[in-house]
Amino acid sequence: MNAVAAEWIKLRTLRSTWWALGVGVLTALALTALGASTVISRWEPGQTGEQAAMGIVVAVYVGVVLAQLPLGMLGTMSISGEYTSGMIHTTFVATPSRSRVLLAKACVLGGIAIAASLLIAIPGYLYGHVVASGFDPTLPPAGAWAVIGGGTLMIAMTTMLGLSLGAIFRNGVVAISVLVVLMVLVPFAGRMLPGGEVVNRILPGYPALQLTEQMPDIMPDEAAFAVLGAWSVIPLLIAVLANKRVS
Amino acid sequence: MDMIEVIGLTRRFGQSAAVDDLSFTVTPGKITGFLGPNGAGKTTTMRIVLGLDRPTSGRATVNGVPYRALDRPLTHVGALLDASAVQGGRCAEQHLQWLARSNGISRTRIGGLLELVGLGEAGRKRVGGFSLGMKQRLGLAAALLGDPEVLLLDEPLNGLDPEGIRWMRGLLKSLAAEGRTVLVSSHLMHEMAVTADHLIVIGRGRLLADTEITQFVRPGMSLEDTFMKVIEGSAS
Repeated sequence: MNAVAAEWIKLRTLRSTWWALGVGVLTALALTALGASTVISRWEPGQTGEQAAMGIVVAVYVGVVLAQLPLGMLGTMSISGEYTSGMIHTTFVATPSRSRVLLAKACVLGGIAIAASLLIAIPGYLYGHVVASGFDPTLPPAGAWAVIGGGTLMIAMTTMLGLSLGAIFRNGVVAISVLVVLMVLVPFAGRMLPGGEVVNRILPGYPALQLTEQMPDIMPDEAAFAVLGAWSVIPLLIAVLANKRVS
Repeated sequence: MDMIEVIGLTRRFGQSAAVDDLSFTVTPGKITGFLGPNGAGKTTTMRIVLGLDRPTSGRATVNGVPYRALDRPLTHVGALLDASAVQGGRCAEQHLQWLARSNGISRTRIGGLLELVGLGEAGRKRVGGFSLGMKQRLGLAAALLGDPEVLLLDEPLNGLDPEGIRWMRGLLKSLAAEGRTVLVSSHLMHEMAVTADHLIVIGRGRLLADTEITQFVRPGMSLEDTFMKVIEGSAS
């Protein structure tokens, strides 16, 4: 617990944390507001209240997924910044177990990612409710949980992946480049290549887009959740193993 | 019991040995100077004692156990390695806050420690704007945070002005007088001659001398002269 509390102090006392969060959350909120208004204005008058509620949730979680890159970069900088400055040695003198340091960072960043998703989703949902009030939206239907779970897991996963890459490469520029390649370039290129279907299934991007109803289903929702979960946990385990090696 | 013990320590990087079968004990109640030319293995030895690096063979213990086995290590051992290795975006107080929290140390100590090291006015200033001397003072505050019985300080005098050097000397002497174990590495022979009670001299990773300073310095010679003779003697 001491290590988690210490990592939280470290993160909240750096301005860059608040910049990354501010940029991520505000951009997502602005795009969600614009996107939701556009989408809702195109709805057919026959929408039921339940369909309207689902539509709002989907629009809102597009915004949450959009905030993932600043959060992923925050994850990277939370450890690569310590390697660059050399302060990581002070960290390891204070907490000799490197895996404990890494897991403490993961806890704090996971919490921040979930908090950021709620900071986007709750105001976004309330705004959508007002814009779509003519459709009398009900409470979100059961199907909305896959969207909420998928969007939240996606932003948490990207944050964890950023941290893991930072811990593996110990260099912010390299780690963020790999993050962008994995999250943006490969999925984009994958769609045009033969066998892109397979690439889509195992990279984190498509499962999140499927769960947030942005792409047609190509796998069961359970499989999509499993892929996202694996991308959160496996790189972190690799980072723990890589850090057993003493610098 | 509050001792640093280094036993048959060897650390190889490829073919060359940075530390070569080194053994010594640092005992409480006095200032032990850790001397040696650049590349002699002082920093490597200190890093191994602190669990930041693993020895190729041999071992190092603090209070009889490996550093990594200590519970809340900052309450047993205070270390100052590279004072400039801090993130510039935090203020001095915040740097000490996370460090205290990581070892369950009360943050009420922070204000007094900043006063003690002469940073009482600078506690809320960003570390990025600190001079090297101020960073050394912050590093010393960090080392003293857990009120440790054992202190390892690597070149703590770097960047300090004459007043700061005199202040550091007085502080180290009072810490040793309280019965703490104090290991200080330095290149400044004149300073070590008036500060240290005991000397451990290494060259090329090997032990060259482990003796009271009064026995090390030959009559009519300065510590610097004796040191150069010992180093030259080992090189030939």
